[in-house]
Amino acid sequence: MNINDPLPPQIPPQAPPVIPPATPRTQNALGDDPAERQPISNFLAAVECVLRHPRRVMFQLRQPGAGKLIGALLFVSIVCSLVYGAVVGSFSGGVQWWAAPVKISGGLLISALICLPSLYIFASLSGAQVRLAELFGLVAGLLTLMTVLLVGFAPVAWIFSQSTNSVAWMGFLHLAFWFISTAFGLRFLSVGFSHAQAKSNAGFNVWVIIFMLVMVQMTTALRPLIGTSDSFLPKTKQFFVAHWGECMDQASKGNGANRD
Amino acid sequence: MNASAAIPLSPLLRAEPAQVRGWLQHRFSWLVGVCLLAIVAGAGSYGAVIGSWRDPLQAVYTGIKLPLVILLTTLGNGLINGLLAPLLGLNASFRQSFAVVLMTFAIASAVLGALSPVAWFLVWNTPPLTVQTTLAAPEYSFLQLMLALFVGLAGVLGNVQLLPLLRQWTGTAKQAYQVLLAWLMVNLLLGSQICWILRPFIWEANRPVQFIGADGFQGSFFETIFQAICRLMLS
Repeated sequence: MNINDPLPPQIPPQAPPVIPPATPRTQNALGDDPAERQPISNFLAAVECVLRHPRRVMFQLRQPGAGKLIGALLFVSIVCSLVYGAVVGSFSGGVQWWAAPVKISGGLLISALICLPSLYIFASLSGAQVRLAELFGLVAGLLTLMTVLLVGFAPVAWIFSQSTNSVAWMGFLHLAFWFISTAFGLRFLSVGFSHAQAKSNAGFNVWVIIFMLVMVQMTTALRPLIGTSDSFLPKTKQFFVAHWGECMDQASKGNGANRD
Repeated sequence: MNASAAIPLSPLLRAEPAQVRGWLQHRFSWLVGVCLLAIVAGAGSYGAVIGSWRDPLQAVYTGIKLPLVILLTTLGNGLINGLLAPLLGLNASFRQSFAVVLMTFAIASAVLGALSPVAWFLVWNTPPLTVQTTLAAPEYSFLQLMLALFVGLAGVLGNVQLLPLLRQWTGTAKQAYQVLLAWLMVNLLLGSQICWILRPFIWEANRPVQFIGADGFQGSFFETIFQAICRLMLS
């Protein structure tokens, strides 16, 4: 700058830097995205949302009139579990064509109902702000995702059930499919639970173990699901570990553990 | 006519993510058609070469069965592959998942087709099947090993080629690997069993040439592997 200049160049007044507003803590709260606010109109939309837009389901479960959505989710779960049950029953045929679907569908619903009160209590103990109806809806979502995935596995299960005579092998395969499907279902429930502002997830984790144990015990309580029997329900009570041990024993001896 | 329409195999093998996504959106039927053609021609020719060791009829049967294994696996797993994709972070529709899996198999089949002349040369050099040939014969073991090795190599190449597409689509490498692994696992599970049902692909001792062997629907691939391991451990 020349010192002989009469006036220093004028510097335009600088606007104070714009500080972006602090990201609100609730930016990712359910319903922030307008797409999540769209109602779920039918069964297919419910399945689509559980698979691709779980947050939309979770938001809708918090709204008044969520009963319709819960009903749709339960309906899909029942239909899908009946379909997968028919595939399970196709291994033995005969009575199992209808017995296996009824047992699997009923077993899943009963397991969920048995475990629902404990989920509510554990959630409340964890400081979660959640209603029983919302938890019921989340569990219905879990069942929907689980059973839809089981239907996805159904062609694979059917191919194997037509090829092998081993109850132990089919039992292992169905358990593997059930485990994978349940893992995805529990992930859905876990994400839903994370929006309930619980202080700790310990209670939820304990509940997951309880739920898994109840479901595997249900497979023993309602046996046979795969093989055949004289009666619809078992005459003796047994723990699932003992039952599986017996099945493996029979399979290794090569007697008794086949569909015939 | 542009180059990709004249020689569709080359862009299919390159599997450039942007181009594949364009096909999935705008040329879906064309893509499925090209994939089917690659599977039938590639896997069919490789199957025919392998089967030719035993008999011309076996060549025809294996030439039909190998593409059939691929198509039945893709169809049987179409639903579960489509369900797993969004759950693992791939925002693809059912038909897109189906087409991507089909593309993987198409690339693998094209590799198999390209290896067919090599396989034919090896088969031609293999001692022919005679009445003295047993299941333990080295030539039979060699053909089995060759079949497994070439199919394994083709499968790996087919999957690796589509990894960049999955990585771009999901946004993260981790999710791309998860989707690919999940698809691989279910395809391996069903594919192995369909292979088991449709055997023999090379030869069945003391049996005439048949499309499906005598024990087609008896037992399962994994059961047999498990029993073999048990026998080995107990012996």
